Amino acid sequence: MKRFLSFCLALVLVFSLAGCSSGGSENGTSTGKQDTQADKGMEVMGDNVTYDPNHLVNDGEPITIDWWVWATEDMFRSIAEAYQEIHPNVTINVINNPWDGFFTKLPLALQRDEEGPTLFNVHNSYEHLLLNYMEPYDIDTDELIADYPSASTHLIDGNVYYMDYGLSTGMYYYNKDLWAEAGLTDDDIPKTWDEFIEVAQKLTKFDENGNMVQAGYNYNNYFNSTVIGLNYQFGDNLFSADGKESLADGEGMKEATTFLIDLYEKYHVGDKDFGTNYDQSFYQGQSAMVFAWGFFVGNLATNAPDINYGTFEIPTQDGETPYAYYRYNGESTPGINKNATDAQKEVAQDFIRFYLASDDVQIKLSQDGGLIPAKSSLMDAPELKDTPIVRTVGPHIDRYIWPGAMPSTVENNLKIAGEDILYNGKDVADALKTAADTIDIDLANADFTSSESLYAYYEE
Amino acid sequence: MKHKILRTALYIVLALVGVITVFPFVWMVLSSFKTNGEIQSIVQTLLPQEAIVDNYMNLQQTFDFLRYFMNSIFIAVVVTVIVIYTSCLCGYVLGKYQFKGKNVIFGFVMMTMMVPWSVTIIPRYTMFMEAGLQDTYISLILPVMVSGFGIFMMKQNMESIPDELIEAARMDGSNEFQTFHKLVLPLCKNGISAIAIFQFLWVWEDYLWPYLMIDSEKKQLLAVGLTLFNGRYSTDYGGLFAATTISILPVIIVYVIFQKRFVAGVAAGAVKG
Amino acid sequence: MFKRRPLQSKSEVWMRNIAMGFLIIYMTIFLIIPVVIVIAGSFHQWNPLNQTYNWIGLDNYIRMFSYPTFWQSMGNTVLFCVIVVFFRVALGLAIAYALNSKLMKHKTLFRTIFYMPTVTPLVAVAYVWKIMYNPQFGLIDNLFGLDINWLFDSKFALPALMVMTIWKDFGYAVILFLSGLLSLPSDCYESASIDGANAWQTFRYITLPLLKPTMLFVVVTSIISYLQAYVPVLVMTTGGPGTSTYLSSYLVYDQAFKQYNFGFASAISLFILVLTAIFTVISFKVTGANES
Repeated sequence: MKRFLSFCLALVLVFSLAGCSSGGSENGTSTGKQDTQADKGMEVMGDNVTYDPNHLVNDGEPITIDWWVWATEDMFRSIAEAYQEIHPNVTINVINNPWDGFFTKLPLALQRDEEGPTLFNVHNSYEHLLLNYMEPYDIDTDELIADYPSASTHLIDGNVYYMDYGLSTGMYYYNKDLWAEAGLTDDDIPKTWDEFIEVAQKLTKFDENGNMVQAGYNYNNYFNSTVIGLNYQFGDNLFSADGKESLADGEGMKEATTFLIDLYEKYHVGDKDFGTNYDQSFYQGQSAMVFAWGFFVGNLATNAPDINYGTFEIPTQDGETPYAYYRYNGESTPGINKNATDAQKEVAQDFIRFYLASDDVQIKLSQDGGLIPAKSSLMDAPELKDTPIVRTVGPHIDRYIWPGAMPSTVENNLKIAGEDILYNGKDVADALKTAADTIDIDLANADFTSSESLYAYYEE
Repeated sequence: MKHKILRTALYIVLALVGVITVFPFVWMVLSSFKTNGEIQSIVQTLLPQEAIVDNYMNLQQTFDFLRYFMNSIFIAVVVTVIVIYTSCLCGYVLGKYQFKGKNVIFGFVMMTMMVPWSVTIIPRYTMFMEAGLQDTYISLILPVMVSGFGIFMMKQNMESIPDELIEAARMDGSNEFQTFHKLVLPLCKNGISAIAIFQFLWVWEDYLWPYLMIDSEKKQLLAVGLTLFNGRYSTDYGGLFAATTISILPVIIVYVIFQKRFVAGVAAGAVKG
Repeated sequence: MFKRRPLQSKSEVWMRNIAMGFLIIYMTIFLIIPVVIVIAGSFHQWNPLNQTYNWIGLDNYIRMFSYPTFWQSMGNTVLFCVIVVFFRVALGLAIAYALNSKLMKHKTLFRTIFYMPTVTPLVAVAYVWKIMYNPQFGLIDNLFGLDINWLFDSKFALPALMVMTIWKDFGYAVILFLSGLLSLPSDCYESASIDGANAWQTFRYITLPLLKPTMLFVVVTSIISYLQAYVPVLVMTTGGPGTSTYLSSYLVYDQAFKQYNFGFASAISLFILVLTAIFTVISFKVTGANES
């Protein structure tokens, strides 16, 4: 017994020593070096929001801040590195916390004052949880709006706490090799849903037992993100005229839902049990078409660089310009933790200014993230002219609706509704009714008002 | 003859259950040597077509599972040692002493075993946030220093120690602290092993609390590390297999080596129950 | 057992005061105060993020009882608990009985194998099983030539979680019952065989009653731990498809740490506590009734 206990004690000692020594090295590696040179002879960046690199931050003393992101950490890290090159005394640790649980961990971390992240990526569906912890940007709002017109929709009591750096929306991605294999050419790119069904059927394959081996179209695990916005084509907004109540059980949503379900159950161009994740199935070349947002460009580059793909715009009922093709949403700039120390906040404010003023940064963000830039001066930037999203939806972007910073409850409850219909055999109307009821309760708590009425063709 | 048939039947049934028990592990290990394309291909084989170790190599570059493993062991060992000590101490007093209110205290300890984590986690979370103990190992150790289960088991164990032994030690002039540490503790070997095993496993498996409390990647524990890995590389099945293999296989090896002690310990604690 | 004397020496009093003092203080801080906080919190609208803490009386409870997912999760939890405990006990007892038979050799090998899943971390095991259940490349469908989307089919999703849990945990019951069987006095069996009892009668009327303490131990500890289960849900289904695999503890997690409805989550967790108490009492009653 004694031996056992002393063995345990020894273990504890060894590990605590190991813990200490590694803890020390952690601090050792993460500090930058002193910066003494304020004037770096660099050019001032930006148009209205400007950034002059020729100054010291934190008086040139070494300082470290954390920046939480939930995906594409390499992209954000390269931006942090670009900033660190100008200010070698600053270290920005880019920390990747997965999307699942990001907004569980973040509010916890933000209460840890200087030890929490100073910068953190924001998704506008969680605005109501985060606003309490955010510091407004220390930039003149008129200048901001001059460069980034959509910043005006993020004014809260005259301040901007976070805004859009790019606009994203959904489009169809198709596997060009499978497309060619089925004898399809560029002329077959569907403009109407009927054409879409026809193409999808050609791309669907079954084995001799009638089991699907290739899906023409796969929306598994993405039903909710697909259907929200499809309702515009089918005749309804997402929210009531006063912007307070969900129309998740309205006719538009019902028809859009029925249409998606029919694609599987009536036209058999995909299956709820084939490829349980639309994205992974596409990476594997097992599904020929998927609907996804701009970010999918980046995901494809990391996860399936060998897939030869193209994109096309969401089809419509009759091929004519609809009330709206679909919805769009903004990708948000990082927030600044108001509980951070003054020194940390100073660095963060300086970084945000750099982030918004630098065209290089903004081009990289839009290019790698599959976005339409929110900065108006970059609309015609040569680097961005040929990105999939600009090419595909650029011409019609005015026919896409921004429903506002929709709280996450909308997506969550439509996910449940979608699964209830597809997998649990629940009636479409019942499932959507349940979703709408729950969403309305949560919307009331979150004090949300839709921005749909701001849409240029709202009266149509 | 009848015995022979019965024996064969028994063996077949048990072997079948045994295969079902082991097979997922075998499949996991074999799959960890497959490429992602092979894991997800429509045609499946048990053995890898071309065995690769990349899954493990990449894992160590992006995720320090070895470190999580060590962190988990550290926490599990510390908590286990503390729980053993507090359980023995309280078990000894409750099992061997006679005093007013003893049964009330013991009954209360028993009731605490019924309180689910979901009741305590919200106030615990609030308390630890207020105290600023987030992201420290103290926050992981402090709430689990005493175990109702452990006290219960040790009380049973202590009661089986003959009073004469303790009385004899007292006659020799040993005070209670000496008696407890030098005589009683060594006599409870089996009970201690039992608690050690259960407690170690509980800490080893615990997920939600470390997930909420620990932020620094360097301090993270294995179970949380696994979910972080999956969240970040949800498409990397090969990596996930490698990661689960790393978190499962060493435990199994240690268990197989010490399985005699394990089983004796569990048996000693529970049969009395 | 002879009557013990009261505490005599100073050091005994010291020992008692230290141990019990520590125990009482510890339990107060980490158990009594938290339970009080939860009870108080369940009457409030409580969101720690925006510092809301408003008295709303019984609203959380009213909402709870009219919340469809709550009833579904409670039903799921009870079903999950009852079935998993049943199979854990039945499988554990049967296998332990077989292993204990004089006919068997290689007992250690079997014992080692059966206990193996129990020592592995649940999160890791859940990930492996999640992939095993995949309809395209999962082990189960491929092995048996099935075409079932286990985790996305409301008929199979909850049973799939149960199967995984039983697989992981039955070894614990095997070991406990095995040691219970080993400790039984052999003279009972001798007298039984003299009386001409057959194998089933011996098991039913001699072994089973003697195993009562072990049985109670296994059942009670299992019930307590399964009423709190959430990791399989978190890793494998996140409650889906729809809400068909919500377990009540997962609902607490979801409400508390995803939606930050601390008050509502507190009300649900108190309900789980009551449920646990009821189940524990029932299992004591049932085993107690067998005594006569």
